[in-house]
Amino acid sequence: MPILVMSVERQCNTGVVMSVDRERRNVTGFINVKSALPTLIATASILSASGSAVVAGDVSDVSARTASVSEKSNEELLKKMRAMEQRIEMLEGKLKQQKQGSASATTTPQSTAPAQTAPARAARAQATGASPPTGNAPSPTPTAPTNNGLLGLTDSPVPGLSLGAYGEVKFGAFKNPDAGGKWQNGFDVHRFVLLPTYAITPNIIFNAEIEFEHGGIAFDADDKRHGTAEIEQLWIDFKIHDKFNWRSPGVDLVPIGYINQHHEPTQFYSVNRPELYNGLIPSTFMVPATSIYGRLMDGLSYQFQASSSVEDFGDDFDKRTDGNSVPLGGYAAGITGLSALHDSRPVIGDFRQLNNTIAYAGKLDFAPPILPGFAGSVSGYFSPNITPRGAYADAGGTLGRNSLALFDAEFRYRVPNTGLELRGEYVRVSFGNPANLRANNDSDPNNNVGKSMFGWSGEVAYHFQLGTFLNSEWEAVPFYRYTYENLQTNGFAGTDANEPTGAGRLQFYTAGLAVFPSSKVVLKATYQKVKNKDPGGANSDSVLGGVGFFF
Amino acid sequence: MTSWIRLAAPAALVSTIVPPAYAVQYLSIAQAQKQAFPSATTFAPVDGRAWKAQSGGTVLGLIVVDHVIGKHLYIDYSVALDPSGRIKRVDILQYRESYGGEVRDASWVAQFVGKSSASALKVGQDIRNISGATLSSQHVTEGVKRVLAAYGNRVR
Repeated sequence: MPILVMSVERQCNTGVVMSVDRERRNVTGFINVKSALPTLIATASILSASGSAVVAGDVSDVSARTASVSEKSNEELLKKMRAMEQRIEMLEGKLKQQKQGSASATTTPQSTAPAQTAPARAARAQATGASPPTGNAPSPTPTAPTNNGLLGLTDSPVPGLSLGAYGEVKFGAFKNPDAGGKWQNGFDVHRFVLLPTYAITPNIIFNAEIEFEHGGIAFDADDKRHGTAEIEQLWIDFKIHDKFNWRSPGVDLVPIGYINQHHEPTQFYSVNRPELYNGLIPSTFMVPATSIYGRLMDGLSYQFQASSSVEDFGDDFDKRTDGNSVPLGGYAAGITGLSALHDSRPVIGDFRQLNNTIAYAGKLDFAPPILPGFAGSVSGYFSPNITPRGAYADAGGTLGRNSLALFDAEFRYRVPNTGLELRGEYVRVSFGNPANLRANNDSDPNNNVGKSMFGWSGEVAYHFQLGTFLNSEWEAVPFYRYTYENLQTNGFAGTDANEPTGAGRLQFYTAGLAVFPSSKVVLKATYQKVKNKDPGGANSDSVLGGVGFFF
Repeated sequence: MTSWIRLAAPAALVSTIVPPAYAVQYLSIAQAQKQAFPSATTFAPVDGRAWKAQSGGTVLGLIVVDHVIGKHLYIDYSVALDPSGRIKRVDILQYRESYGGEVRDASWVAQFVGKSSASALKVGQDIRNISGATLSSQHVTEGVKRVLAAYGNRVR
């Protein structure tokens, strides 16, 4: 390109160059053609990155070579010029079209795409421009053609790709039960999640969640990280019919309750997820799974899922034997009367399942048209057998089959035309044969599980509009939630001594304020008091602040 | 592990048999036009995304087709305006995402009927939030509001 322009100048044809310049601003740099040749060559040598002849030599050498080039190939150059002229004409046409487009854009609605891609386009226009505009040359103003996706001047080759994100940052003071209930301060960049979605076709859609927890992971001790980098969701949806769609085998969330599938921090008002989702439902309850789902009618949809079963094994991953059974010498239970199902999620990698069981889950979501503002769901999860291979009691003897059933019913009701919102939920876990639970056979008399576990919660919140500030409409949501959980009901069976301290019978009093600067950002403050039946107390109260986002 | 195959096979089979091309497109533009203005005889294009519905020499209204991003993917929708610039009907033409399809519920889109460019059109105020479809419901509402702002006084 620089060579061409120089040769043009030698043919006293600067007028063409000037018109080129006016029409295509990214050639602006060559306006220097008018001034001294050495300057031009210097500019040219800087510009031509692939630089062949020009970059190599000194100024006189280059001009000599350039001269010979231009003498030899005048005809070729004329050809190139003609091609360039054609290209300019084409670009002029395009520019006119775009100008018309952007002129009408002031009166016609623009899709969200141009607004979103405008900065990227501007950046790209700058990056691809031959040189930054110099002197009094007008700066390039990127026009905004509609829907051209990521790459600016042409349609995006990947129009269906998008990247969402959500995350939660938490901080504050909490009573540490392991420090005798002393108050301690802390900070946690709890989650940062990237959500790539790609529409392979309008009917075949890829979806994933890439999650970094607690600041991620690092390998050197002085990096001070003990978080995770994990695939939380990964599947391809085959959208077949409104009433019947198929989600390919992958990592997916169990359709149970509301918050497990809708766990972004803008979906709930407390800093931490609602308590029922911290054990009774081990959120984020993600499993190797495939499912079908659809919308049966207005306000009624379903999902049915088959997945790798939860497992009654809560110990380190590397304690699994090569034979995919539990290790000798004791192992931690996946389900206990203190942490419920928290440690029982199935592994999602490496073919390391501890049994062959397939579990089933189903959910019905409803939002009846006759009750505007109301939404609810009932859902269930059933595993025929959660006992891992080789499971045993410390007292001797193997542990046999044990099924697990999980039931959830919940509702959310925003009373129309008011700011009032009510939420309620009930969760129940029952076991086919609790005598075969590891917690009831692990020599620990305090963590035993009874016949079942259950919990419920009720929440009231009120939405206040705060008005417009910083180009956004703000909303404040004070809330109060009461949660009761009983993880150690009666009906104990097993080889352990049974001496529950009452720590598995919990009451949570949670109150706070969530301020939404936009529907996609939330600032939270939550106070929580925790009581249990343990004479020593729960020692888990907290005062937390949080920042969450989802877009 | 063979149960995976047993479970996945029927779904895979259905997905290969059922022609998927029509699935997510609930309404074509022509269908949306017809639904909004059944008595119209012509739909004269105004610009790339709006058509004037006419019957004889009478202007019945305007129908605008636009799209917004739901959570990740586009939602195509149409807004029909009567000659006074009030909303006659809103339809979701195409919805592509896995969650949030509740914006298609008739009772939800019916809330837009009668709104004009003077209406608040704000989720949580005059338009209900859809639990589980927060982003979709907000973005469709914003889109409808934008259509009203741009076309509300251009129907005649």
